[in-house]
Amino acid sequence: MRYHRKGVIGAIALVVGLVLAACGSGDDAEGPGTTGSADTTETTAAPDGPAITIGAQDFGESAILAEVYRQVLENAGYEVSIQPLGGFRDIVLGAFEGGDINFTPEYAASMLEFLNEQQGEATGDAEETTELLRGYLSELGLVAYAPSPAIDTNAFVVTPETSEEHGISAISDLAGHEADLTLGGPPDCETNPFCIPGLQDVYGIDFSGSFTPLDAGSVTVQALEAGEIDVAVLFSTSGIIADRGWILLEDDQSMLAADNVVPVLTEELDQAYGEEFRALVDEVSAAMTTEDLTELNRQFDIEARDAEDIALDWLTENGFVDG
Amino acid sequence: MSDFLSELGAFLADPDAWLGGAGLLVRTRDHVLLSLFAIGVAALIALPPAVWLGHRRRGGVVVGALVNVGRAIPSFGILALMLPISLALGLGIGFWPTFVALVALAMPPIFTNTYTGVVEVDPAVTEAARGMGMTGRQLVRRTELPLAMPVIWTALRVSAVQVVATATLGAVVGWGGLGRYVIDGFAQGNDVYVFIGGVSVALLAIATDLAFSFGERFVLPKGTHHRDRGELTSSAAV
Repeated sequence: MRYHRKGVIGAIALVVGLVLAACGSGDDAEGPGTTGSADTTETTAAPDGPAITIGAQDFGESAILAEVYRQVLENAGYEVSIQPLGGFRDIVLGAFEGGDINFTPEYAASMLEFLNEQQGEATGDAEETTELLRGYLSELGLVAYAPSPAIDTNAFVVTPETSEEHGISAISDLAGHEADLTLGGPPDCETNPFCIPGLQDVYGIDFSGSFTPLDAGSVTVQALEAGEIDVAVLFSTSGIIADRGWILLEDDQSMLAADNVVPVLTEELDQAYGEEFRALVDEVSAAMTTEDLTELNRQFDIEARDAEDIALDWLTENGFVDG
Repeated sequence: MSDFLSELGAFLADPDAWLGGAGLLVRTRDHVLLSLFAIGVAALIALPPAVWLGHRRRGGVVVGALVNVGRAIPSFGILALMLPISLALGLGIGFWPTFVALVALAMPPIFTNTYTGVVEVDPAVTEAARGMGMTGRQLVRRTELPLAMPVIWTALRVSAVQVVATATLGAVVGWGGLGRYVIDGFAQGNDVYVFIGGVSVALLAIATDLAFSFGERFVLPKGTHHRDRGELTSSAAV
């Protein structure tokens, strides 16, 4: 078959060029678009140090929190970007290890239990739990700053119909109904101390036989709506629970521990920037409340606003940036 | 590493890991059954039009382009799209969305390869057959189809292997199968699960390939067999 040599060389050059261009731009972290945010008053020049890359997991709240910290730090003159991650903690730890990220908003009790392999050390006290967490983090070269008062734990949710039919308004009411009801939640429920093992140990409720593992978030929501599952494991700050008029079962025997939002970062980052940096991050963490987080999630899930805009508004309202 | 190996050993030695509703055997069985079902339906839908269009030597480019568009849509995307539809139709989560995604995956290669296989039957042979007085339908059944069989069978084989490998996606929407090990393992930080999931799917895929290879001798008309160092191989290109 005759072919044009120049044409072939040209085509190959084009392809190679495209590939190189794609590889090059792959280094830039993908953020939710360029920041149009406040390049306002001249703030003190940022100290020299490593660029901050914030890891954001693939659910709304993580994206919002990442944006909050990113914008505050950028406004203070730091070089900061966001790296999207998948939805598993393994990926977050891998990203820290590989240097892809050096900062991420995490959840004190859940991360503790993940690192200690579900020993059940987490308590209802945020400070205590974070201290325990720090012990495990130091082995990985990571530190945790002050926990926020904002808590996002697992939420066990039922429809009003289910609630009425079985008289269920608190988690302990589920006892005895395991055979009639299906629990649906993330695949880690079977080993997560704030899910099936917790229900077993604290409440004596055994859902291990009627559990459907579903990708957290949208799939679980759809399944509950369609009646494929009866009890859904969602997140307590989810805007969808209130929007659909669902019932969040009360944790009347305190199975759920202190899943406060807590910034986790590398020792390197902490040491590079020191006190001023830490104070700023802590200030932001302290200002975030559970109510705030629920409202921010609502804007994300129900109003479909961008994480960037939601974060900017919250930061402006709380005086961190001039919107 | 030795931790992992001892945990792996413990898993394989535990009878509950093999038997029971969430055991390796049940999940493998479910995986195989869904894959077979998907391939069967995909073949049922794709083969007849492909054979007929190949025989008539028309329309192939257009339909082929359409089918390739289907091939370009990721199975994961189809899965996500199918979930709300399946729920709306009262078909639930898990099985049916996965089934549709797998059929969508399996159809394009079956269609295009079958069409090509029939089109590429030596025109001299088809002319001779017509010269013998065969009608169109007889031509398809007795000449074109048998001669195209090696290509068709290879298409089914390749498709089947892809389906077996991709059926792991079903675990994301609540189905079982061997993908359960991968997804649950990832979520729970259980390396043994992930390993088992990956290895078992790989082994199943290889077994599928071998099964089709073995099936050749029953499906391919004797005249198309070539003996190559005593082994039966088909004359088909992938």
